[in-house]
Amino acid sequence: MSDNDTDDVRTDGSGTGIVSPDDETPAWSERKERTQGLSRLTYEYFERARREDQDLRQQSDYVERDVLAFPAWPHEMMRNIALTSFFVGMILFVAATLPPEMPNPANSSVTPAIILPDWYLYWSFGLLKLGPLNPDLSILGGSKLMADRTYGVLANVVVVGFVAIVPFLNKGSARRPVEQPFWAAVGMSGVIFSLTIAALSIKNLAPIAPHLLFDLTFLVPIISATITYAVLKTMREGYMFDLNRRYYRLRPPK
Amino acid sequence: MADEFMKGFACLMVGGLGWMTIKGWYNTPSFEGAQLTGELTIEEPTTFDQIALFMGDAFFWFAVLGALTFWVVLPLISEFQAYLNERSA
Repeated sequence: MSDNDTDDVRTDGSGTGIVSPDDETPAWSERKERTQGLSRLTYEYFERARREDQDLRQQSDYVERDVLAFPAWPHEMMRNIALTSFFVGMILFVAATLPPEMPNPANSSVTPAIILPDWYLYWSFGLLKLGPLNPDLSILGGSKLMADRTYGVLANVVVVGFVAIVPFLNKGSARRPVEQPFWAAVGMSGVIFSLTIAALSIKNLAPIAPHLLFDLTFLVPIISATITYAVLKTMREGYMFDLNRRYYRLRPPK
Repeated sequence: MADEFMKGFACLMVGGLGWMTIKGWYNTPSFEGAQLTGELTIEEPTTFDQIALFMGDAFFWFAVLGALTFWVVLPLISEFQAYLNERSA
C-alpha cells in the first residue's frame, strides 16, 4: 500500500476522483478496451473486491486462525447451556414474580358476551364475516345462492387453497425478494391480509368504523403489494442483480 | 459499536424486566383491565412497599437512560472526539 501514497494522487475532488486501488487493477479506460465484455468486467469486479477485503484484513488486528468450525464440546455445548439456562431462568423468574391469575371456572350454561377464538385463528374467524361480499343474484329473485355462513366457510377453503397452491405456481431457486418482486409483493399482500382480516374479525372491538374497516381489509393488502413491488423493482438497480447472479458461476475468463 | 449496542440493550432489558415485575405487583388491579399502568393497589405502603415503588421508578429510568446513554450519548461523544482529532490533525 505504501507505493500508492504518492503526492500526485488526489482524493479531495480536485482530480477525476478515480483512483485505482493498486497497480494490478485496470483503469476504466483500460477496461473499456477489453472485448470480452461482461464476464471480464465481472471477474475484475470481484477480484478487486477480494483484494480490498484482503487489504482490510491485513490492516486490522483481527487474528486469523485456520479453524473451519468449533467443536461441539465444549464450545457449542456451553453456548447451548448458557442460552437454555437463560430462558429457563426467565420462565422461573416470571412464574415466581408474576403468577397468572386463576379465575373461576367457566360457567358452561351461560354463553359469554364476546365469543372469539384464540388470536392466531382470528384470520379464519374474520373470513366468516364476509357476508357483505355474498352477492344477491337477480336471477334468483334477489336471494343469495348460499347462506352467509356457508359463504364464510367457502372463503376459508379458497384462502387456504390459494396458500397451498402458491408453492406450485412459483417454482424457482430465487432466495431474495429483490430477485422476484412480483411474488414478494404477493407474499406481502398475504401477510398484510392476514392482519387486516384478523382485525375485521374483532370489528366490534376495533376503534374504527365497521364499513371503513371492511373496505380497508381488502384495500390495504393491495396498497402494500403495490408499494412492495415498486420498492423492490427500484432496489434491483442498486443490487446489480445480474452481476450478483453471475457470482455463483464465476470463473476467470480464458 | 456492537458492544455499545449490547450494553444499551442489556440496560433496556434488565430495567424493563424489573419495571414490569414491580408494576405487576403494585399497578395491576386485575387480570382484565389496565395492565402495569393501573391504579396503585395498596392503600398504606409499608417501608418495603416504598422501597419497591422506588425501585420500580429506578428500573424505569435505568432502562430509558441506560439505552439513551449507550445508543446516543456515548456515540455522540466519541464522534465529537473523532471530529476534534481530525480537526487538530
